[in-house]
Amino acid sequence: MNQAFRHALRGLREHTYLAGVGAGVIAAALVLLGAYAMIVGNLEAVVSGWKRDVHVSAYFAPGQSAEVQAAARSELAGRPEVESVEWVTSEQARTWMLERVPEVEAMVKELGEGALPSSLEIALRPAYTSPEGLDAFAASLEQGGRFGDIDYGREWVERSGAFLRTLTILGVALGGILVVAALFLVGNTINLVVYARRDELEILRLVGATDSYILSPFLVEGAIQGVAGGGAAVALLYAVHRLVVARLPEAIPLALGEGGLAFLQPSAIVLLLVTGVAIGVAAAGLAVRRFLSRLA
Amino acid sequence: MIRLYHIGKSYGDRDALRDVSLHVEKGEMVYVTGPSGAGKSTMLKLLYGAERPSTGKMLIAGTDVSKLDSRQLPSLRRNLGVVFQDFKLLPQRTVAENVGMALEVIGAEPDAIRRRVPAVLNIVGLKGREEDKAGVLSGGEKQRVAIARAIVNDPAILLADEPTGNLDGAMAVEVMEILQAINLRGTTVLVATHDVGLMDRFPYRRLRFVDGRLVVGSTLGAARR
Repeated sequence: MNQAFRHALRGLREHTYLAGVGAGVIAAALVLLGAYAMIVGNLEAVVSGWKRDVHVSAYFAPGQSAEVQAAARSELAGRPEVESVEWVTSEQARTWMLERVPEVEAMVKELGEGALPSSLEIALRPAYTSPEGLDAFAASLEQGGRFGDIDYGREWVERSGAFLRTLTILGVALGGILVVAALFLVGNTINLVVYARRDELEILRLVGATDSYILSPFLVEGAIQGVAGGGAAVALLYAVHRLVVARLPEAIPLALGEGGLAFLQPSAIVLLLVTGVAIGVAAAGLAVRRFLSRLA
Repeated sequence: MIRLYHIGKSYGDRDALRDVSLHVEKGEMVYVTGPSGAGKSTMLKLLYGAERPSTGKMLIAGTDVSKLDSRQLPSLRRNLGVVFQDFKLLPQRTVAENVGMALEVIGAEPDAIRRRVPAVLNIVGLKGREEDKAGVLSGGEKQRVAIARAIVNDPAILLADEPTGNLDGAMAVEVMEILQAINLRGTTVLVATHDVGLMDRFPYRRLRFVDGRLVVGSTLGAARR
């Protein structure tokens, strides 16, 4: 192993340009994959935010006592579908309304104390936010006559669900194409890099080197090129991310949520580097083996 | 040392070698000769395992090498030295590194390599040139480096495929003198060449091939007769 490492360093020193081309192509492939991961990650965060925002407003029917309302709250809080329940009294609703829309103050006063009904604002767990899950939950609330109206924005949920499904299909298809393109790009380049060193392989074969002896330094070189390519890709993605964040119109970070456009998670960065090493090692291994199989 | 029995080699429907039987004794020096396309290089390729015979049996130092699989080839090649017309050196590496490669692949320690390489360079007349880059050497010097690499492991057999083909007259003579000296140290040497002048100047048994057939010199006795 020590010898393979030494030979790999010598190979990189002797063929700095070729090694740079190999690392550069790995970096290009990983930039594609990293950018894709970043876009999908941010879109998923947006969609998760939408899912978290799905909530049911259950307005109490007129005449429900505070005890009944409190009991309804406790009962709902204990249900498995429910993430949280907030009890909004008629007075709180009135205050909220007047704070945000002061123009309607005269109208609200005219309608009197009970103009805005008390309600329960129910947030559901993500597993229950499908249109069917919401329908079933709303239907269960309608029984018993405690609630006069139930609002849960079914159309919005349906649209966001359809969007998410399309996104998933597109993501898988695009991700697959990118992976194949990246492997093709790296594979062909490393093939050329190995071909440029065919004399070395041929001589090693002639003096009695075993295939594993010949292959080991190339694998180490592939790993080093993978780490270098991965590092370069992460650095480039970070620079582009900073540039994009600095130039984004203010409205776009709002649409993306509080965090704005997020960079890759640390685990994704590690995964990118590991992928770089795997691509480098696999491409070098395949190219050298293919070449050796053609050699005498 | 080398015994071939009814060796044939075909590429598709073209016969490169036909029914070749020959013996080369230990410590002998022989020429493999004949016109272009007669089968000289094919003969040597069979001996160092770059090609497999289509028919026949081939023994080198008592081992049947006609059926060696690719995993057994390295051990055969560690006991053979091979020299080519185009030298096959790595120009960006030093003379010592080029020669030392053959020792590294057999797992020789760096100290042993440092001791052995200058000794072999001395044999081929390149003493003190260890740190020169192979790429800057003359043709004759490159061929000497190639010969040094071929003999650094003390192989029993040295195969040289047109070793003087790229060299002018004086350098060709120098290279032949080195091969002769190596033979005198006990190594069996086979030289593929069609240079009649050199063969006349350094007279050894000639294995003459025509159209893939061995027409002269199959055994030492036959050659003497």
